[in-house]
Amino acid sequence: ESHIQYERVGADVTMKCGSMDWDSAVTWTANGTDIDESHLNGSYLILKNVDLTQSGQYSCYEGSSWHLKYQTYLRVGVPPKEPVLMCRSNNYPKGFYCSWHLPTPTYIPNSFNISVIHGTREMVCEKDVFLKNRCHIRYLQLFSTVKYKVTLTVTNALGKSSTTLTFDEFAIVKPDPPESVVAKPVPNNPRRLEVSWQNPSSWPDPESFPLKFFLRYRPLILDQWQHVELSDGTSHTITDAYAGKEYIIQVAAKDNDIGTWSDWSVAVHATPWTEEPKHLTTEAQITETTSTSTSSFMPPPTTKICDKGAVVGSGAVAVCWTAGLVLAAYGILFI
Amino acid sequence: GDSWGIFTFLCAALCNLPALPALNCTEELGPGRSIQKTYDLTRYLEHQLRTLAGTYLNYLGPPFNEPDFNPPRLARAERVPSATVDLDLWRGLTDNARLAANYRAYSRVLCSLRALDAQGTAELRHRLGHFCSSLQGLVLSIAGVMSSLGYPLPAGPPASPGGAPAQPGGAAPNDFLKKMDDFWLLKELQTWLWRSAKDFNRLKKKVPPAVVTLRMEARGF
Repeated sequence: ESHIQYERVGADVTMKCGSMDWDSAVTWTANGTDIDESHLNGSYLILKNVDLTQSGQYSCYEGSSWHLKYQTYLRVGVPPKEPVLMCRSNNYPKGFYCSWHLPTPTYIPNSFNISVIHGTREMVCEKDVFLKNRCHIRYLQLFSTVKYKVTLTVTNALGKSSTTLTFDEFAIVKPDPPESVVAKPVPNNPRRLEVSWQNPSSWPDPESFPLKFFLRYRPLILDQWQHVELSDGTSHTITDAYAGKEYIIQVAAKDNDIGTWSDWSVAVHATPWTEEPKHLTTEAQITETTSTSTSSFMPPPTTKICDKGAVVGSGAVAVCWTAGLVLAAYGILFI
Repeated sequence: GDSWGIFTFLCAALCNLPALPALNCTEELGPGRSIQKTYDLTRYLEHQLRTLAGTYLNYLGPPFNEPDFNPPRLARAERVPSATVDLDLWRGLTDNARLAANYRAYSRVLCSLRALDAQGTAELRHRLGHFCSSLQGLVLSIAGVMSSLGYPLPAGPPASPGGAPAQPGGAAPNDFLKKMDDFWLLKELQTWLWRSAKDFNRLKKKVPPAVVTLRMEARGF
C-alpha cells in the first residue's frame, strides 16, 4: 500500500522498508532510479538535509525477488509562515468579506480555518463560490459598538500559524471603484470635458448610504494630477482642460461618512473638442464664404448668469440676479 | 418723463447690484436646512471626539488606551441607549422615531459626560467642557428639527445628573469598573455619531425640500 510522508526542508529522513528487518537485503529506488548503497544503513534509507528536489516516489524492493515491499511518496516542504489576512466591506451595510494568502509557499498542501467572533457570538463565514481564499459574513446588526475578531489559522503536516484581525464595523468600509467611467468632449468648448460614471454595482444601497467621489485628471504629457472632490452626483464637467491635449481621467468612491476611499477606477482617455482646421480657398470661394460666414455669424452663446458653472456661491445669489434682471425688464417695459 | 426716471432708477439699481453686499436674500430655515446643519454638527463632533477620546483613554491608562482593546460587555446598567439596531428595523423607523432615538441618546450622553470623572489635567477638563457645549448644540439642533416637523420632544433625561449609579463608598478614580463604564460611554457615543450621519442622510431625503422665502432688503435707498 502507498504512503505519503511530509518532511521539512533540511531535515534528516530515515525510511524503513516496511516490515523488513534491518539486516535484510533491499534495493531502494527514487522515482524509478536505483539509489546508491552509500545512502543505506542496513535496509533503511537515510536522506540527510533534504531539499525540495528530493520530493518523489521512493520504493523498496526485496533483494533477490524484487518484490515491492514498501512505497512512499516523499513531499518536502516547510511549515506555514504567518498568513496575510484582509477584511473589507465593499457592500455596506450588507456585510463584509475576508481574504487571505500565504506570504511564501509551503510546497505541500495547506488547509485554512477562519473564525469570526463578534462579542460572545461566533459568526458563520460563508465560503466564496469562486475564490477559495475568501469568505463572506453577513451583518446581523448595524452600528455595533463591539469589535469583530477574525482569526485565520493555516495548517499543514509540518505545522500551523495564525493571525488575528480586530476591527470596528465602520473601519473596514471601502467601496469598489466607480464603474462605466465615460469622458466626452463638449462641442464648441475647447477647454471642457464631460465626465460621468456610475456607483459600483456591489454597493447595495446608495440611497441610504450615499457615496462621494474623487476625480483626478491630467494631460498625458504632464505628471501632475488635478483633483476634484464631489459630494454628490455622478458627473462632472472639467472646465480647465488644455486645448487639444489628450487627458487621462480616473474616479474613486467613498462612503460619505465612514471608511476609506476605493481604488481608482479604470482610466479613461479623452481630448477636448477642437475647431475643424480651415482649408485654403480660391478667390471665387472667398467671396462666397465671406457672404455665408456673415449670415451665419452668431454671437457666442451667452452663459446664463445662473449657470451652474459660473455661479460660485449659494443659490440665493443666483435668485437675486434673476430678480434683478426681471426688474430691469419690467422697468424697460414701462417706459 | 416719469417713466424715464423710473428707468434710470432701475438702471442705477442694477449697476449697483454687485456693489451692494447688503442686498440680502435670506431663506427661512426650513426643516431641510436644519437637518443639514444637524448632520454637519454630527460630523464635527465625530471629529472632535477622536481627539477627546484619545486624551481621555490615555488618562485612564492601559488597557483602555490600547487600540485592540476589545473587552466583553459586562451586564451593567446602560447609561446610554445603544445605537446598535437590526438593519430592517433601522430602515423602517419613522422620521419621528428616528429623531427621537437620536435626541434621547445624546441627551443621556450629555448628562453622563458632564458627570465624567475628569480629575486629569486642565487640558482634559477644558476639552471635555468644549465638547459638552458642542454636544448641547447638537441636542438643541435635533430638538429644532423635531419641532419644525411638528413632533413632540421625548421626555427629558432624569432630573438627577445622569451618570453611573452611585457606587458604595464613592467612585474612586482607580476603580476599574468605573473606567470600563467610561470606556463604553465613549464607544457608544462614537457609534451614535456614526449612526447619526446615516440617520440624517435618510431624513434629508425624506423630508420635503425647504420652503424658501425671499426677503430683499436693499439698504442705502
